[in-house]
Amino acid sequence: MDLFGFLPDFQSMGIEMATLAMFIMLLGLLITGMPLAFVTLLVALLFALGWFGPMAVPLITSRIFSFVNSFVFVSVPMFVLMAAILDRSGIARDLFDAMRVVGGRLRGGVAIQTLLVAVVLAAMSGIIGGEVVLLGLLALPQMLRLGYDRRLAIGVCCAGGALGTMVPPSIVLIIYGLTASVSIGDLFTASFLPGLMLAGFYITYVLIRAYINPAIAPIPEANEISTGEKLRLLKGLILPIMVVIFVLGSIYGGIASVTEASAIGVIGVTLSTVIRREFTWSLMMGAARQTLATVGMIVWIGIGASALVGVFNLMGGIDFVSGLIIGVSENPTVIVLLMMAILFVLGMFLDWVGIALLTMPIFVPIIRDLGLDPVWFGVVFAMNMQVSFLSPPFGPAAFYLKSVAPPDISLGEIFRSLLPFIAMQILAVAILITFPGVTGR
Amino acid sequence: MNEPQETPDREDHGAAPEAGALGRMINALGVVFAIGILASAGILFLEVILRYGLNKPTVWAHETVIFLNACAFVFGGLYVAARDGHIRVVLIYDQLTGWMRRIFDIVISITNMIAAAFFAWAAWQSLVRAVWTPAGDVRLETSGSAWNPPTPGLLKVFLFVVLCVMAVQFAVLAINYWRKKGDS
Amino acid sequence: QEYTFKFQSSDPAGNANFLLQQGWAESVSEKTDGRIEIDLLPVETIVAHTETQDAIAAGIIDGHFTDTSYFAGKEPAFGLIANPVGAWSDPEQMFDFMENGGGNELMNEMLEPYGLHFIGATTPGLEAFLSKVPLEGVDDLKGLKMRAPEGMVQRVFAAAGAAPVNLPGSEVFTSLDKGVIDAADYTVFSTNHAQGMHDVAKHPVYPGFHSMPLVEVSINKATWDSLPEDLQTALEESVREFSRSQVAALAEADAAAVAEAEASGEVTVHDWPDEERARFRAIAKEEWAKAAEASEASQKVYDTLTTYLTENGLM
Ligand code: NA
Ligand code: NA
Repeated sequence: MDLFGFLPDFQSMGIEMATLAMFIMLLGLLITGMPLAFVTLLVALLFALGWFGPMAVPLITSRIFSFVNSFVFVSVPMFVLMAAILDRSGIARDLFDAMRVVGGRLRGGVAIQTLLVAVVLAAMSGIIGGEVVLLGLLALPQMLRLGYDRRLAIGVCCAGGALGTMVPPSIVLIIYGLTASVSIGDLFTASFLPGLMLAGFYITYVLIRAYINPAIAPIPEANEISTGEKLRLLKGLILPIMVVIFVLGSIYGGIASVTEASAIGVIGVTLSTVIRREFTWSLMMGAARQTLATVGMIVWIGIGASALVGVFNLMGGIDFVSGLIIGVSENPTVIVLLMMAILFVLGMFLDWVGIALLTMPIFVPIIRDLGLDPVWFGVVFAMNMQVSFLSPPFGPAAFYLKSVAPPDISLGEIFRSLLPFIAMQILAVAILITFPGVTGR
Repeated sequence: MNEPQETPDREDHGAAPEAGALGRMINALGVVFAIGILASAGILFLEVILRYGLNKPTVWAHETVIFLNACAFVFGGLYVAARDGHIRVVLIYDQLTGWMRRIFDIVISITNMIAAAFFAWAAWQSLVRAVWTPAGDVRLETSGSAWNPPTPGLLKVFLFVVLCVMAVQFAVLAINYWRKKGDS
Repeated sequence: QEYTFKFQSSDPAGNANFLLQQGWAESVSEKTDGRIEIDLLPVETIVAHTETQDAIAAGIIDGHFTDTSYFAGKEPAFGLIANPVGAWSDPEQMFDFMENGGGNELMNEMLEPYGLHFIGATTPGLEAFLSKVPLEGVDDLKGLKMRAPEGMVQRVFAAAGAAPVNLPGSEVFTSLDKGVIDAADYTVFSTNHAQGMHDVAKHPVYPGFHSMPLVEVSINKATWDSLPEDLQTALEESVREFSRSQVAALAEADAAAVAEAEASGEVTVHDWPDEERARFRAIAKEEWAKAAEASEASQKVYDTLTTYLTENGLM
């Protein structure tokens, strides 16, 4: 232990001060420009050493091992690979040219269609990461090319890509269902409408912005594109729609599990490049290398957060957080709002896996004791997770987008672009709490 | 209508110059794991065909895919470190110039090196339990499934190796940032 | 209190097993007049469920409450003793084997070299079997696409002609729902029911015929050795009492859930006749013999188990 005498004795600080110190350290290290993944890992390491000593450090590597050794995350590289292939072939460009035609004179038409694509992607996948990257590779450069406002385009890609956990299937809801022992089917049914509602907010927002200020979402001039040209451009829709039919068909037709379906998507887009005579070995290898680099970033961010939660739990974090809630009030609404506040704060520093592991075991029994509907709360929880994906300083969706966005788009710009979308997500949480009926419960 | 621009630059920029020869080797080795990702897509597709088409699910497909991806995830962290591609919040960092930025680069690299070395040491502890039985015989930890491949044991060994190389890579980065006098 | 121990469970927080296990933690405190306090943590709060053994040995946590078969990858014998498929038709039989048939001694012989001490065994009871299609016997298993995650169970079903699919627990619901698989080895009837599994798999087989997991309560060996004898005895007693109350509580919950499922008119609960259960057991027994060859410890488990079953007229 003397070897680590330079570290303060965290245990004597008590869990309250240690938690505060943890947040401050996270923030402090973040702004030095240290890579994010290593910020969380380093804080986890310092607290493991300072609270317990070196014997606790294997906890971190154990969590690294378990995090990567799981089937759940296999769909992430599959989605990224799909995106990289689409982007490197001409499929993405042709798809968006066609969407511009379909959008016609509707202001913001391409952004709205991107959001619809995001909803379709959400129905294909249970986790986010792959989808944000997919939209970031596919839609972001295309919207910029078509003259869309940068911030609007960024927001649409991040917020739309994050919908994956709100629209069934959703791993957040599955983990919630397993933790709370409530019907996963009920959770899926209850989250469907709120998910569409949130997507609806985004679409409405795009429309309002585009009609107030037409410059942010250019549309083709009348007669700019001839009818023959339109027909030619519309062909760009065929292959992507076929791939979507394959993937959704394989999931909803009971042919493939959700993870396997993401691989079917990869095969589908690869076949599309063959059909378009664009298939080359170098295209595939370039896409695969890009996938390796992207998942390297994404997964290590998740690893860091998972390690930090493990250390925090060992320090007694669970008792600490439940202590924050219990005894504060008898009023269920106050308690639920307090939970939302805790989720919101945690969402600023952790990714959802960490938040779920930390808070679900605490919140679920309390919700049951209060006599509230755990299915409804599951949907509220998933909606709050939407906020955590976007909220700074630790906003996974923003990081995922940054990993594939053009280099001149800074993280700061991404977060600024997300503020209106975060506001809409908070509005959605408020609606679910005020009008639980939206979940059909 | 705006002239359609070319799709943005997707050129592979390779390892960061400061990552040195080690960085270039890591970057080159990435091909292996990139192929692993491509192979996973193929294996999962094959599993679907065999199960849905022929009612003959394999015992090996899912575990192989988990292993290939786990290796890619672990190696990916090192690969991105060699390419200096990990995401950072550059609020302050970008304001820095010259020697200040150099000091930041050096200190961050050394800190990461120390952290990676700690993790490598910790990974060694679990490696020992995954490779040797208490009686001292070599037996790689298996998955315990019907197929029972030694993938957990292999992955624990691999994680240890990657964390060691990662510590060395950060050391190389620190040294090269040190050498690079005020030319940033 | 003199001792505070962190135990990690392999069950999630809202799960019935976990709620019961919290009752065990309280009972330990009562039994020892507060000298031992157990801080029971849900699955994955500190480490993943497959990593608790290493974490206990390293002193990161003090003990675990877990299905022993998660460690079959470390030593195949853990897989065999944890789930000798078809051996038990009643939890009481397994408890008797553990307490009087040499099971407890065997567990400690296997666990202590890994740095753990085995305090006692419990079980959620006979698991129910989830199925979308009516299953009346072994013949209906032919070609059945079913999820089976662990070694022994998977092998036995393969030997019975089923087509086992390796899926994580988190994909069971959607895969059953959409028909990727027809059936699944999951958990006990009441928990299956609470999680909505019967909404998508309307032909459960109950009581189950295939699986009754051994759930071990173990502690770091050095910690155990440092405890005074009266506290050791109190811990052993607490687990013994807990095992009976858990089985009773879950049997009651199962019965209530079965009644609810049948009353809904949506779910058909199937019960296999004794001949079919015997046929399945016969297939399973051939697999035990094969599993015994995996290691020295496995052979020992096999010998002790078959001796006990023969002496007690169960085989
Ligand atoms: Na989804
Ligand atoms: Na956030």
